[in-house]
Amino acid sequence: MSHGPGTRVQKHIGDPVGGEPPLPRAKLEEIFADIQSDLRFDHELNGCLNCGICTATCPAAHYYDFSPREIVQLLWTENLEGIYDAMQEKIWACAQCYTCAARCPFGNSPGGLIMLMRETAIKHQMKSAKDVLRPFSRVMLKLISTGNQLSPDMINKEHFADWGPNISKVEAPLKLLRKAIPMPTLNTTATAWEVNLKTSIELYTIWEMTGVLKQLEGIDENLFDVITDIMDEKREDWKDFLADQEESND
Amino acid sequence: MTERLTGHGSEWRDANLSPTEAKIATSWVELKVDKRSMLTNKDRVKDVRDAMWQLEKDGEIVVHRVADEHQPMMVKTLYGWDKKIPTTRLWHHKSCGQCGNIPGYPASLLWLMNRMNIEYLDETDQTSCTAWNYHGSGIGNLESLAAVFLRNFHQAYVAAQAQGLPAGYYFPLVHCGTSFGNYKEVRAYLLHSAKLRERVRTILGKLGRLVDGKLLIPEEVVHYSEWLHVMRERIAGMREIDCSGIRATIHPACHVYKMVPEDAIYDDSVMGGNRLANSTGLMQSLGAQVIDYSTWYDCCGFGFRHIISEREFTRSFAIDRKIRVAVEEAHADVMIGHDTGCITTLDKNQWIGKAAGKAVELAVLADCQFAALVCGAHPYKIVQSHWHASPIETLMDKLGIDWEAKKAEFVAYLEQIKSGKPENLYDPRRMITSGPGYIPLKSLS
Repeated sequence: MSHGPGTRVQKHIGDPVGGEPPLPRAKLEEIFADIQSDLRFDHELNGCLNCGICTATCPAAHYYDFSPREIVQLLWTENLEGIYDAMQEKIWACAQCYTCAARCPFGNSPGGLIMLMRETAIKHQMKSAKDVLRPFSRVMLKLISTGNQLSPDMINKEHFADWGPNISKVEAPLKLLRKAIPMPTLNTTATAWEVNLKTSIELYTIWEMTGVLKQLEGIDENLFDVITDIMDEKREDWKDFLADQEESND
Repeated sequence: MTERLTGHGSEWRDANLSPTEAKIATSWVELKVDKRSMLTNKDRVKDVRDAMWQLEKDGEIVVHRVADEHQPMMVKTLYGWDKKIPTTRLWHHKSCGQCGNIPGYPASLLWLMNRMNIEYLDETDQTSCTAWNYHGSGIGNLESLAAVFLRNFHQAYVAAQAQGLPAGYYFPLVHCGTSFGNYKEVRAYLLHSAKLRERVRTILGKLGRLVDGKLLIPEEVVHYSEWLHVMRERIAGMREIDCSGIRATIHPACHVYKMVPEDAIYDDSVMGGNRLANSTGLMQSLGAQVIDYSTWYDCCGFGFRHIISEREFTRSFAIDRKIRVAVEEAHADVMIGHDTGCITTLDKNQWIGKAAGKAVELAVLADCQFAALVCGAHPYKIVQSHWHASPIETLMDKLGIDWEAKKAEFVAYLEQIKSGKPENLYDPRRMITSGPGYIPLKSLS
């Protein structure tokens, strides 16, 4: 029997009637085990009666084929195929507002559970994670290399055309406008505030020791290379500073 | 009666209620939704601070206390628990989104503090909480968030030593709502999980950021809007511009009161204790009219990832569920918020509405910006209103502020500082507490 292009469900979990699932059962179990083993899982999932308060109050549910109730049900019933399917697209719809968590009579946190699924999608280098996060790479470069997520030079008409002509209602070079902010830490353009070199070095240690760089490498190898180059340079700067200090102390 | 397909099954029947009857029939929904009982009707809620004191007693952690020297004021939270808000000797934990995009937000806060002789430190040794990226991308994890939290708060604890003052002198004041929510969530997991504590102790040890070999946990995690709330009468006492004609809508920030809701401030004198007290209490004290609106509970549409790479969602939600409702239902002059992402989203996403035939306009400001404005702060030098895309000028007209004259002053000021030194809210030499550029105390004096 010949098949057409198939539905999204068929594409990701196989034909529910006759097809083979694209992932062996063991792999689906491994993915679920990764979600379930996070220490937050048991705090964020306490039961579910399908009441739907979470979905009724969910902003993403207004605009996307997304329901926090469905996500909680999939996890609560350990529906491994459904969980895997939701990780291909749906989990990225969540706006992370935690309205669902505030409202759930069981004290579940569907938004929190979504984060565990997103982390797992990244760990398993799922295509969905790579696709969804590609436009986010500028932000990740900034955050991981400087500790600041957003910088003044990122806000420009090319990147935010839909914000209209008023990036600033006073026409002047960005550097001058930033100099006119009466907080000296903010007289910067490439970071939101001036970041101490020692701070950056400490942050890099955190990224390394918590496996964040490994996560990044799995999702975007090029970005990983760029960031590690920046980290190496800053570490060299720090070493030079320490050597200078030692010299001047002698 | 005709059968209709409704999605609710074949048993569904149209009740044919008049609008008044329909309102009565569904009024219980509003009664429930508009009350804080919706949040309090939960089991298993425990005050994590109990676990914190026990762990300190057991010698596992050190608690950075809100001491008498911080001149704390007490507030009540969702369940009527006490929370201590330090009012002076504050270490500013800045927000990357505010500093990068809405710099008048922190500048207005510091300006208010200067007016009240509040001691503070704004320094370069801090990272963002990294949680915007985490919630948007999933890059990061509980350990990295916890390590960043403890690193930044440890720096707040030791920062004063660079000025020859004791550790613990400054207490951290968190500017961003997401940092505030994320840090409280992480604090709870740290207090619950010995395994997590053990993992991050290794990291913090390597960074040299343990106190007597132990993790340092803050007694309270405090948001700047909480500081504004306890200082609201003093701020109102500095008001120079009458704002009684201003109709203000409040957008309470999700990560301020829906994340770890038990720690959010509720005050019986503010909307009967049925809304978050932050910002609403301040606006009322300043004399503005706070107007309720039906979508007060909705988020702004920021979405963390969406604001960057899926803005159709963000702008549709911001316009349809917040700005339009505030304009058409509440006839608002301004929407006031207390978080980075909300102010950005609500302020920047109005212009594009014209393209979709949804042209609605409303001034959007942070609570501290509005407070500074009516207390006489310069609308451009301090409030930095030129970074706002929404019509702040219309609001200033209504407040009787000659913004065109102020703007001309600011343009002249820009010319002046091209070659000269800018005006600052504090001595810039204090902003570096270690590493390159650090000036020891004796040189400062």
